Amino acid sequence: MSNLLLLLILMPAVAALVCYFVRSSAVRKLTVVAAGVILMAASLGLLGQGAFEPIAVGSVLGISSDFLVTVLDFALLGVILFYGIKHKSVLIQVFTLAQAALLVWFEVVMVEHAAVPALVGDQLSLIMVLVISIIGSLICIFAIPYMDKHEEHLHLKKSRQPQFFFYLLLFLGAMNGLVLSNNILWMYFFFEVTTFCSFVLIGHDATEIATKNSVRALWMNSLGGLAFVIGMMLAYMKTGTLDISAILAAGPQGALMVTGIGFICLAGFTKAAQIPFQSWLLGAMVAPTPVSALLHSSTMVKAGVFVLLRFAPAYVGTFLSTGVAICGAFTFVACAALCIGQSNGKKILAYSTISNLGLIICCAGINTPLALTAAVMLIIFHAISKSLLFLCVGTIEQAIGSRDIEDMRGLYAKFPRTATITIIGILTMILPPFGVLMGKWMAMEAGADTNIIIVVMLAMGSALTVVYWARWGGSLMSSRKEGAPAEQQAVLTRLPLTVLCVGAVVLSCAAPWIYNSMLAPMFKVAPFTVSFGSLNSATGSFAVVPLFIALGLGVLFAAKSAFGFRKARIMPPYLSGANSTEDGTYVGPMNGDVPFSAGNMYLGELFAEGKLTPIFNVLAIGLIVLMLGGAL
Amino acid sequence: MDILILVIIGLLAGPLLGGLIAGMDRRVTAWFQSRQGPPIMQPFYDVAKLFGKEKMVVNQWQILCAWVYVIAAAISLALFFAQSDLLLIFFVQAVGAVFLVMGAMAAKSPYSQVGAQRELMQILAYEPVLVMVCVGFYMVTGSFSLGAVWQQDMPLLAKMPLLYLALGYALTIKLRKSPFDFSTSHHGHQELVKGVLTEYSGPYLGLIEIAHWYETVLVLGLCALFWHTNVIWMALLLIVTYMLEILVDNTMARMTWRWMLKRVWLVGMGMCVVNLIWLYAR
Repeated sequence: MSNLLLLLILMPAVAALVCYFVRSSAVRKLTVVAAGVILMAASLGLLGQGAFEPIAVGSVLGISSDFLVTVLDFALLGVILFYGIKHKSVLIQVFTLAQAALLVWFEVVMVEHAAVPALVGDQLSLIMVLVISIIGSLICIFAIPYMDKHEEHLHLKKSRQPQFFFYLLLFLGAMNGLVLSNNILWMYFFFEVTTFCSFVLIGHDATEIATKNSVRALWMNSLGGLAFVIGMMLAYMKTGTLDISAILAAGPQGALMVTGIGFICLAGFTKAAQIPFQSWLLGAMVAPTPVSALLHSSTMVKAGVFVLLRFAPAYVGTFLSTGVAICGAFTFVACAALCIGQSNGKKILAYSTISNLGLIICCAGINTPLALTAAVMLIIFHAISKSLLFLCVGTIEQAIGSRDIEDMRGLYAKFPRTATITIIGILTMILPPFGVLMGKWMAMEAGADTNIIIVVMLAMGSALTVVYWARWGGSLMSSRKEGAPAEQQAVLTRLPLTVLCVGAVVLSCAAPWIYNSMLAPMFKVAPFTVSFGSLNSATGSFAVVPLFIALGLGVLFAAKSAFGFRKARIMPPYLSGANSTEDGTYVGPMNGDVPFSAGNMYLGELFAEGKLTPIFNVLAIGLIVLMLGGAL
Repeated sequence: MDILILVIIGLLAGPLLGGLIAGMDRRVTAWFQSRQGPPIMQPFYDVAKLFGKEKMVVNQWQILCAWVYVIAAAISLALFFAQSDLLLIFFVQAVGAVFLVMGAMAAKSPYSQVGAQRELMQILAYEPVLVMVCVGFYMVTGSFSLGAVWQQDMPLLAKMPLLYLALGYALTIKLRKSPFDFSTSHHGHQELVKGVLTEYSGPYLGLIEIAHWYETVLVLGLCALFWHTNVIWMALLLIVTYMLEILVDNTMARMTWRWMLKRVWLVGMGMCVVNLIWLYAR
């Protein structure tokens, strides 16, 4: 057990050091692949051993591990302060100094240093470890060929990959530590490590814009860190323990403690880039694609929603819970609306991530077993589909030199494999019987019980989501000339893409069993029963496997009649005139060819980003104030 | 076993009823316009003829999309007859809608491209309304399963009159009736040729027609559930609703998507919200 935990948390850090100090590209590649494989195996091993009670870590080389974490904590704050001064950001300096001061007060004056078991592995932790270790590792492997191409493109004299992979791997270790923490101070430490790693990775390319965006990410997340410290202190005043399991077991305990938890939720909001903190995640897309993929799917933002889910039992049934749900639902619909106006592929992915995180947070706020099941399902399947889509956009960007979805129009003609995988990825985000939609279905059924504001927001958000995905998927499809050259893809690019694509489909089909083995034990009264591959709750049912069989056979049949041997005659489209030889062009005035061009409707007058963002920010700040104030 | 029989009934009823409704629709419309109109069976003859035509497409994606559209529409109606989960039925129906749009976008044709974009606007308009209607069912019956409707002894219309009116918006959009028929129309005289359907031809157009029948029956079935206690009243409700649809179709001009979004989101959603507030307040 403890060996596995060591592997999951410390091994990535050791591998990171190897990457940093051994500057040979071959050793680095081998280390990353090996670390990825070990992480995957260890996470599966941990799952195999099942949930475990809180355990103590003991001491390292005669120094108590709690003390070590404290020292590292202050060291990390020092480093963040250094960067705050270096980049002349007053906000970072203020937030970091405030954190340090409060932390000193907390550690020295308030806390009676009793032994608290440092790590715990309940179902939620185990699922998170799986998501982080498997998807995170696949992204790291994808990063190997990607970064070679990336640096080639930038014409760097000296490779900056050692630093890059150092932080990438460290990030995975910190995430595993975060989700396995039982001591709230440990959780805070790992929370800060992820903040710092993301700051360095966003700024990796060291361009002006990258630096600017990384500084913004750092100050926003430092604000989150500050909220975390305040929340930790307030909660401790009432509960008198650092033991998260004990806090959760006791449930909500009056205004002071719930307000403390409210601040921790606020920390989760900043990390999950909820409105009004969305700008740091949008800015993060200047980083190389593997970083965006990692931040958006399996790490960073999932740390935010994890914090909310972890503390869900501590605010169940309070006004804070309703407030969290409304804030989450608001982000869900607002970011879906902002997404409608976007043509930049990575920005669409970013807004969609924030929107989905809003949905997960809304579920955490609804706080019934059904809603929490929805939240965890969404975490799992969103991580898979979103990482797949990010890697797809990265691959497309390196192939066509643009991340604009208008430039991806007709991608199938030249890059059939990437285009098909992207289309499948998109479909897994919005359609049944896939996992993300199933999560959304659960969320809606859970939301129907709460209040009408949430219901309306979920309904609107869901419709907006379909629009921006469907038009992207449709525009990738196109004719392909017979005998066109096959698409070339590096093995280490193809492997993660294929694994994630197959995983998104197959795991969706296995959802009833995933639910049964991993989610059902989380609750005293399980929200679903599984029969004939369907998930049945008291209020509805989702026929996962029957739908998979029916729709799957249907799609197979459709694909066979479309791409099979009996071919339909291929004709040029109707253009109200004489078609010229080129597909989609017609003979226009002066016998010249009029080329085909098309564009999506981005509804600029309704969904302009510049116009909506300030309004949404003000509304969201109002909602957060409402949420925190109501907790008092 | 019962479920299997119901599913088969659903799969057969879709095209049969849908085709008949389309035929009667044309007759009544002709009557409004002082014409004779085609025989009631004309839609079936049309589709049969389409299936006899040569298979021609712009690219293979269209074949895939046409098939998935009809399959998803059929499955959603089968689920409806099997009295499954209302939200699930709605989501499966959305599979078809999405594939229709994607198929249209696969062709390098300005008409089908613009049609696809407008179709998306229509989806954007009716989806929230349908979700709200589903939630209304849940609030009244206590379950998203359609089976729970039969345990009510009052017609649902009594408790969700405004939701029914809002559903009328969704019905008009789904039936492709004026003023909301701007992505494609039953009449081939609009500025977009045939809009989202322009590039579908022959057997694949036939498939899409059948899928459209399935969807028509599904939405009308949803309307029928508002008066589940008595078959005669149910029939009357459906006839009155459909007559109103035809009347609206014949008296309204085709509007723009902006008009539609504002109208459906403000008036339609407004009615949904008010009705749901009544239900939540109880």
